[in-house]
Amino acid sequence: MSAEIVKPLVEVLVYPGLAFTIVISLLLEWVDRKVYARAQNRIGPYHVGPHGILQPFADLIKLLSKEDITPGHVERLEYVVSPLLVLYFSLVGIFMVPTGAWGDGRSVVHFEGDYLLVLTLATLTTVFTFLAGWSSLNRFGALGSMRALLLIAGYEIPLFICAAAVVLDAGSMSLTRIAEAQAGGVWLILRQPIGFVASIIAIQAELERIPFDIPEAETEIVAGWLTEISGRKLALLRLARDVKLFLFSSLIATLYLGGPWALGQANIAAFLAKVLLVVVITSIVRALFARFRIDQALSAFWRFVIPLSLAQLVLTLALRWWLPCPSRW
Amino acid sequence: MCSEYIEIPVGPQHPALKEPIRFVFRIDGEIVVGVEPRLGYAHRGIEKLAESRNYVQNIYLFERVCGICSAAHTTCYVEAVERLLGLDAPPRARYLRTIVHELNRIHSHLLWFGILAHEIGFDTLFMYAWRDRELLLDVVEALTGNRVLYAYNLIGGVRHDLTPHVEESLRKVLRYLRERAEYYKRVVEEDKLIRARTVGVGVLSKRDAIALGAVGPTARGSGVDTDVRRDDPYAAFDEVDFNVVVRDEGDAYAKTMVRICEIVESINAIEDALSKMPGGEIRVKAPLRVPEGEVVARVEAPRGELLYYVKSNGTDRPERVKVRTPTLANIPAVCKMLSQAYVADIPVIVASIDPCIACMDRVVLVDVRSGETHVVSGRELRRYAIEWYERRGVGS
Repeated sequence: MSAEIVKPLVEVLVYPGLAFTIVISLLLEWVDRKVYARAQNRIGPYHVGPHGILQPFADLIKLLSKEDITPGHVERLEYVVSPLLVLYFSLVGIFMVPTGAWGDGRSVVHFEGDYLLVLTLATLTTVFTFLAGWSSLNRFGALGSMRALLLIAGYEIPLFICAAAVVLDAGSMSLTRIAEAQAGGVWLILRQPIGFVASIIAIQAELERIPFDIPEAETEIVAGWLTEISGRKLALLRLARDVKLFLFSSLIATLYLGGPWALGQANIAAFLAKVLLVVVITSIVRALFARFRIDQALSAFWRFVIPLSLAQLVLTLALRWWLPCPSRW
Repeated sequence: MCSEYIEIPVGPQHPALKEPIRFVFRIDGEIVVGVEPRLGYAHRGIEKLAESRNYVQNIYLFERVCGICSAAHTTCYVEAVERLLGLDAPPRARYLRTIVHELNRIHSHLLWFGILAHEIGFDTLFMYAWRDRELLLDVVEALTGNRVLYAYNLIGGVRHDLTPHVEESLRKVLRYLRERAEYYKRVVEEDKLIRARTVGVGVLSKRDAIALGAVGPTARGSGVDTDVRRDDPYAAFDEVDFNVVVRDEGDAYAKTMVRICEIVESINAIEDALSKMPGGEIRVKAPLRVPEGEVVARVEAPRGELLYYVKSNGTDRPERVKVRTPTLANIPAVCKMLSQAYVADIPVIVASIDPCIACMDRVVLVDVRSGETHVVSGRELRRYAIEWYERRGVGS
C-alpha cells in the first residue's frame, strides 16, 4: 500500500480522527466532572485509574454491556437510528476542525465553507435528539424533545451571527483558514470579545448544560428526551454528548483562540490546551448557575444574547474598516 | 381522558420526589390545568402498631414516623404521655429537649434548602447546604449518640446530659452555621436565577392558607402568624427567646426566606437556652402504667404543627394514638398552589411545602365513579372488607 492511501486512512480512523477524538472526548468528560465536583467542594471521580481519569471509559463500557431494550410501542426506525446519527454527525464535525496533528495547520477535511457544514451538522444532532425523544413515545421524552427544539430558537441565531462576525473578520468560511488568519498572533478574542462571550453562552445551551439543561431537567421531566433510552443507545448518546463537548470547545478554540497556532507553529499541544481552557470555563459556568425555565431561557437569549451578537457584528464591520485583521494572507 | 391535554403522571417514583406520592397533572402545553394527588404508597400501619406496644417502646416507634423530624415526633409524644401521667420533666431536661428539637429544625431546614436548590438545578448550592448540615449532624451525634434517630427523649426526661466539652463544640458549630445562614440568605436575595425560579411561583394567598388549613413555614410564608412554640409553649419555649418569622408574599421565595431566617432564629433560641440552662436532674422515673384518660399535644415540627392524640385505658399500652403530621395539612394548599403553574415549576412548588410523605400516609379510598375521596380507619376498612365478601357469599 502506498503512503497516499495509508496516510488518509490513519488520519480518519486513528489520529486525529476517530480513535483520537473518542479518547479526547472521554478525557474531557473527566475534566468536566472533576472541575464541576471541585467547584462544589466534592472530590468527583476517583477510583478508576489515577484520580478517576478512566471513569468515563468505564461508564461507557458498562453502558455498552447493558441490556438494550426497545419498548414495544416505539417508532422503531427513528428510535434505533437517531442515537447512531447523533453520534455520527458529532464525529463528522471534528474532521473539519484544524487540530494541528502532525504539525499541520489544516484539518483532515477542509474546503471553503466547511464551517457552515459544521454548524449545520450541529443543528442536525439536535434534530435527531428531538427525534430520539419523540419516537420513544414517552411523555417525558416528548416534553424533553419539545424543549430541545424550542431551545434551538434561542441559541442557534446568536451562534450563527457570531459565526458571521468571525467569517467577516477572518475573510474565510473555512475553519482551517480562520485559524490560519490568527497565526500571526492576534487572536480573534481580542477583536471580538463580545462574540466570544455570546458564543460561550450559546454553546452552553447547545450542549444542554446548566443553566440551559432544560431538555433533560432531571427534577422536572425525569431524564427528558433520554428517558426511554437504555443500553447501547444510551452509551452512544452519552459518547455523542462528550464528542459534542469536544467539538464545540474546539470550535471556540479555533474561532477565538487561534486553534492550533502558537508562536507561528501549528501544534496539537497548543490546540488541546486551548480546548481544555474552554471546557474548564464551561464547567465553571455550569457550577455557578441554577436552571432557567424554558420561557426564561428564551427571553434571556432574545433580550441579551442575540442583541450582544448583533452588536458584535456591527462592531466587526466598523473594525474591519478602520483596523483590518493584521495577518490576512 | 380529554385528548386536548396531556396527562403527566408524577410519581409514585419520580426524581423530583424523594418519597412515593402520586400526582396526576393535566397539562396544556407547559401549563398545569388540573392536579390530582394520590397518597398511600408509604402507609406503614404505625398507629395500629402503637396499640400493641407499651409506652416506652412507642417512643422509638414514633421516632421512626419521620427520620428528618424525629425529635419533633418524640417530643410531642412524650409531652402527651407526661401530661397523662401528670408528670413534669425536670427543668434541665426541658431545656435539653428544646435544644435538640431546634437542632433538628436547623438540620431539616438545611436539608430542605439543599433540595430546593437541586429542584431548580443549582447543584452547587445543594452540595454546600448539605456539607454544612454534616457539621450539625456530627454535633448532634456527640450530644445524643445518633445522627438522625436520636433516641434522646424519654418519658420524664432525656437520656444524655450536655457535657461542657459538647457544649463548646455546639457553640462553635452554631457560630459557623449562623454565618452560613446569613450567607445563604444573601445568596437567595441576590442571585437573579434563584429569584427568577422562586419569586411569584406557587403563590398561596393568606386567605387560602387559612381556608385550606396550611401550617408551619408554608402558612408563615403566606403571612399567617402562627407558631405552636409561641402560641402554645411546650418544653422550655416559654422561657427561651426567639422570633416567629412571617413573610407576606406567599410564593416559593417567601417560604425559602422564612426557613432560612428560622435557621437563624433557631440558633438564637439554642444559644439563649444554653445561657439560661438550669442545673439538676435530667430525668425522673416514670411509671409504666398510664392512668386512664385522653390528651392532645402539639409541637411545631420543622414542617409545621404536629399533633398527637393519645388515649389511655389504664394499662401500659395506649388504646389509641393518632398522629396528624404537617404535610397532610399542607396537601390541599399545595394542590391550590399547583393549579395554573408551569410544568417546570412543579418540583419547586411541591418542594416548597417541604413534603414528608412517609409521615402522613393513611389509607385513602378513592371512589372512581363519584370521584369522592374519604379516609377510612383500619377498623372501617376491615368491616368493609368483611361485608364486601359476605355480599359475595364468602366467609361466615
